[in-house]
Amino acid sequence: MTEPLQTQPLLSVRGLSKRFGGLVAVNDVSFDVQQGDLVSIIGPNGAGKTTLFNLLTGQLAPSAGHVLFEGKGIGTLSPDRRARLGLGRTFQISQPLVSLSVIENAMVGAFLHHPGLAAAARRADEVLHLVGLSDRAGVRAGTLTLSERRRLEVARALATDPRIVLLDEVMAGLNPTEVVEIADLVERLNREGYTFLVIEHNLKVVRRFSRRVIVIERGAKLAEGSADDVLRDPRVVEAYIGRKRA
Amino acid sequence: MSLENGDHKVTQPILASLTRPQPATARLVPVKTFLGEMPLALLVLAMLLGLVTLFSGDSFTLNTLATALLFAGLSSAWNIIGGFGGQFSLAHSVFFAVGAYTTANLYLRAGVSPWLGLIPAAALAALVACVLSWPVFRLRGPFFAIATMAFTEVALALGNYMEWATGGTRGMSIPFRPGLANMIFRDRFSYALLMLGFAALCLMVVIAIKRSRLGYYLQAVRDNEQAARAAGIDVLRVKLKGMAISAALTGIGGGLFLMQVRVADPSALLSLFDFGVKFALIALIGGLGTIYGPLLGALLVIPLESWLRAELGGLMPGANLIALSVCLILASLFMKQGIVGASGRLAILAGRRWRR
Ligand SMILES: Nc1ncnc2c1ncn2[C@@H]1O[C@H](COP(=O)(O)OP(=O)(O)O)[C@@H](O)[C@H]1O
Ligand SMILES: [Mg+2]
Repeated sequence: MTEPLQTQPLLSVRGLSKRFGGLVAVNDVSFDVQQGDLVSIIGPNGAGKTTLFNLLTGQLAPSAGHVLFEGKGIGTLSPDRRARLGLGRTFQISQPLVSLSVIENAMVGAFLHHPGLAAAARRADEVLHLVGLSDRAGVRAGTLTLSERRRLEVARALATDPRIVLLDEVMAGLNPTEVVEIADLVERLNREGYTFLVIEHNLKVVRRFSRRVIVIERGAKLAEGSADDVLRDPRVVEAYIGRKRA
Repeated sequence: MSLENGDHKVTQPILASLTRPQPATARLVPVKTFLGEMPLALLVLAMLLGLVTLFSGDSFTLNTLATALLFAGLSSAWNIIGGFGGQFSLAHSVFFAVGAYTTANLYLRAGVSPWLGLIPAAALAALVACVLSWPVFRLRGPFFAIATMAFTEVALALGNYMEWATGGTRGMSIPFRPGLANMIFRDRFSYALLMLGFAALCLMVVIAIKRSRLGYYLQAVRDNEQAARAAGIDVLRVKLKGMAISAALTGIGGGLFLMQVRVADPSALLSLFDFGVKFALIALIGGLGTIYGPLLGALLVIPLESWLRAELGGLMPGANLIALSVCLILASLFMKQGIVGASGRLAILAGRRWRR
């Protein structure tokens, strides 16, 4: 992606902080995501990555700082307003609509821009095909395996036709084949024009994405840059590997 | 491992498998539409019409059927917000009473035919429902149920106080002046048909909602509000829409009920056990959030109740309540999805047997 430098970022985060009582879960974090980017966020468990996502999508209100979407402040909008603007997300703990079938779960997303039943079903069918869940379309979402639930999360988010998709550890707990399949999917969608901000623990996947990486530690941004540079940074190696072993 | 070198080409075969078009048979989208529901719905309604016609000479049975069909409609209406939307409202007897008093007052004071009066009755019930539920929709589960139950108590006090509208504790009665325009009939058969029409209206609205965006949004809100919001759903708005439609139908049911019994006082109309809770119980027994559950529930519970009242009422006052409670306990123990769910499972089991 060779975008001119003046291009307005799709998503801008400025000095974002979140305090839970005495704990500073997110501490003065700033970064930009350009249209077409695939940015990874890494960091040890408890670093504040999910909290950061919740601030971006409106599940939590920030203690300080701003979130700009296409240059406009969205920091006070509700999660559903932000979703309607084009912020799609998955949850780290997948949240299937258990009484609905797989395709109906995807339809709940698709209805956002396709109010009719037939059109929503068609869009849902497309995204299920995209994430490889077509053959499970009629099954109740509550009966899916972990990997299928993760795909369903992605499908429901994609069905809303988002401008940017936030994925929270969609590959955690999957076997290597499944990881490759989801990583492929994300890369392909990115090449097709979807913008991604991805929390990911699997460094192999992060390195393969080979785009910009942001490292979060104890709520603060520790480093930002290309995957190779960041993963070689001694501070990152220490924070990431050191904590992980502990 | 291919991930290490970051080479896209290595994984192309898997990509190809994701994009490969599927065989035509697998492309059938398993989503039912409103029209797809119609054959069964029309069959069910035709059977009910047959049942009513069959008993057209038996006024006791017709009475029971009329009540069962009224409750089939009322429970179906409750099911929209209580079943699909998961908002366990116990305030529906308030909307029922609003509909009843609106229809009756327009008829008695302004000579408005009840057929027309049902329209403002529905509108006012919906309005009252939205105003009441708006502040309590942020409460979850049992807290929402308790708050709505409190509305019934407040409404009862108000109903007794507002004599000009309700006749106060003396109640209100509508003179017997038979005529189609007055919605007052000499024969029981006409009332049974009237209630069948109401049940049919409610069934059609329920199907239209279930097979539309609003229906899916209500179910999404019931299953997981956080996921619903992330999908762009304005949760409060969806709840209010579901509540408004549910209450409008309940208000119509109230109008029909009052024109049928032609006498009512606030403590009867706002009785939690005779109306507010019963709408919910019938839906629970029949199958919460299913299309036909409330209908089946009403056709089971109401005749059972009226039979028990006739057989045991004199000996044991309240026997019908005990029977209803037993039904509910059995339903909650053995049928998570009510009669509809249980018969669905039985059908699956029978199918397996048969195939073997
Ligand atoms: N709602 C909350 N209330 C209090 N503390 C929280 C809440 N959510 C997260 N935290 C704390 O904030 C820190 C960051 O959590 P989280 O964002 O989930 O980390 P990560 O996703 O990077 O593993 C953790 O210490 C966690 O316990
Ligand atoms: Mg997390």
